[in-house]
Amino acid sequence: MKPVSRIVTQQDLTKWTESSTLDDVLTFVVDLQNLVEGKENNDKTATSETLLGILLMKLLDATDALIDTNPVEHEKDVSRFGKIEFRLFYDDVATLDLSRYLPQVPTTDAIEELQTYYGESWGNRQRIDYGLGHELNFICFLYCLKQLEILTPSDYQYLILKVFVRYIEIMRRLQKIYWLEPAGSHGVWGLDDYHFLPYLFGASQLSGHPYFKPKLIHNAEVMEEFHSQFMYFECIYFINNIKTLPKSTEKLSIRWHSPMLDDILAAKSWTKIKEGMVKMYKAEVLNKLPIIQHFKFGSLIECPEGIPEHSDHLEDECGHVHNQAANTWGDCCGIKIPSAIAASESIRLQQEKLVPFD
Amino acid sequence: MDLDTDVPMEDVSDDQQLLPLIGKESVANTTTNAGALVNDKKDLHPSSINQLDEWIEKLSRCEPLLETDVKRLCEMAIDVLQFEENVQPVQVPVTICGDVHGQFHDLMELFKIGGPCPDTNYLFMGDYVDRGYYSVETVSYLVCMKVRFPKRITILRGNHESRQITQVYGFYDECLRKYGSATVWKLFTDLFDYFPITALVDSKIFCLHGGLSPMIETIDQVRDLNRIQEVPHEGPMCDLLWSDPDDRGGWGISPRGAGFTFGQDISEQFNHTNDLSLIARAHQLVMEGYSWSHQESVVTIFSAPNYCYRCGNQAAIMEVDEQHNRQFLQYDPSIRPGEPSVTRKTPDYFL
Repeated sequence: MKPVSRIVTQQDLTKWTESSTLDDVLTFVVDLQNLVEGKENNDKTATSETLLGILLMKLLDATDALIDTNPVEHEKDVSRFGKIEFRLFYDDVATLDLSRYLPQVPTTDAIEELQTYYGESWGNRQRIDYGLGHELNFICFLYCLKQLEILTPSDYQYLILKVFVRYIEIMRRLQKIYWLEPAGSHGVWGLDDYHFLPYLFGASQLSGHPYFKPKLIHNAEVMEEFHSQFMYFECIYFINNIKTLPKSTEKLSIRWHSPMLDDILAAKSWTKIKEGMVKMYKAEVLNKLPIIQHFKFGSLIECPEGIPEHSDHLEDECGHVHNQAANTWGDCCGIKIPSAIAASESIRLQQEKLVPFD
Repeated sequence: MDLDTDVPMEDVSDDQQLLPLIGKESVANTTTNAGALVNDKKDLHPSSINQLDEWIEKLSRCEPLLETDVKRLCEMAIDVLQFEENVQPVQVPVTICGDVHGQFHDLMELFKIGGPCPDTNYLFMGDYVDRGYYSVETVSYLVCMKVRFPKRITILRGNHESRQITQVYGFYDECLRKYGSATVWKLFTDLFDYFPITALVDSKIFCLHGGLSPMIETIDQVRDLNRIQEVPHEGPMCDLLWSDPDDRGGWGISPRGAGFTFGQDISEQFNHTNDLSLIARAHQLVMEGYSWSHQESVVTIFSAPNYCYRCGNQAAIMEVDEQHNRQFLQYDPSIRPGEPSVTRKTPDYFL
């Protein structure tokens, strides 16, 4: 069965937050987090290849290649919002035959479910944006493989340090090339425009590190030098590069554009941050209606009992459900905001145009 | 003749025996002499003026008010705003401004560029809160100015002046951060229900946050709406705060999921029907701070420079003089005064 979204009302959400389904998904995330504790992205023993790992990397490579076959052509388009070629990429991902990449998957039904979560992992086709709900879909995709007993704990380290890192790498390309908007941005008050899990896994990587203390994220040079080894640093490095002042080479401090990342430093140790990230992920992602109203249930991730099927629960053109008393349009498709990439890119283009007469 | 509520304090004190009070004290004193005055509800007692001036001075330093003061301010503001109209009449000259989004220092820059209030009349078209760092200070400041100089400044409601939106886009988080509880958020979002939703400058320029609604053909129809409520999910009031002009003609589905897009034909028809020269609106980021559409029948004004501290856009305000000449004043981000002064607060998850 093709997974569908089911959570519509606050009552539905309560059933979901009290369900074992949520517990199972969260436990999966925590297990993954624990197994990368103290491990760098290129840790040799932790990243010894597994068969599933290799297959997933091939699938991700094929997905990455679809970016190249759908280049942005409308360069003249001055809109600072998402590039429409993203939709071509999105549609091409939907045509990837997962059974070719994952021959162990037993049934076409299971393939269909995996396909749904995998397809949703890259953003929203209509709105050309990306947020924590899409990131969660990638975890659901992996969780389904676990449910099918194709994925086992022996794959976990490789899965995060290589496969998940590769997923984020592709997401960065998508965000940069198609100018994906951040979905449901809290502006300066959010953790990050796009991601959560690289912080959750990344804090675990740094947990117990002998000399990389949390406050180090203020050191841009260190972030640059070590961004390919630690997920947390990659996020900071990425932010440092796009959140800038116009007409200035001055870097903005994290305190300015990302106060929460700075506030978290008061936690003192990466171990505290690691644990806090899990609590925060549960409260701010898995328990939030604006995100979970898009969460899809099928046979591998079953909808908790007692949640009614809302017959009028049809997503409209913008991919959202409207006209529901308990629904919150502002939470989902609310307000367009240009992506930081779009912003920094157009600043760069402007500056390049300013060639002085000589 | 209407009393000028913006007269300096000493003038007010001459008549203070005649003037009822605003706020709690008014309960005891409003009964006598009220009939002798026009617009008496909007007049301020000197003690209120002193109080407001103190608050304004404090806020000018970007220091948030105490929770108890916010409560009192909101009570005073309701007393002013509830008597404004859905289509609040505004006289020229006036300076029309767009989104501010908690960029307090840039708001101060705006008043430098446009001239201090009340020397310059201002009309703000909503979106004071969310996303920026200083929504609390920004909205407190503007509401203080509104109560202090009710005829000199008009503050309309934007789609962000809403309970639902502010819970997602930052204002709620910010109130929790700065006050330790949601009380101030509740006070302000309750106040937002009273903000007028549109303004009409000299019967010629129709000002609102978003744009037109397929359910509104005449300005009189706006007057008939019941605006004292949370911004609805659909319907005319929602559209006025959410719609956008579009290059395509006619009405279109908005990608925002609320409001509509409207084409040049719609704008021209609306302006013709209502004998308007222009629709001024905000709601969309524009690189130069202002942007014409529909052959100058609609203008978008955006007053938050370098939006979200990264978009690189200029901000603008539009001056309209007595002869209805329009002039745009553009400005860049203010010089940042060092590190933001928000207290650090570790999210509970990490304690």
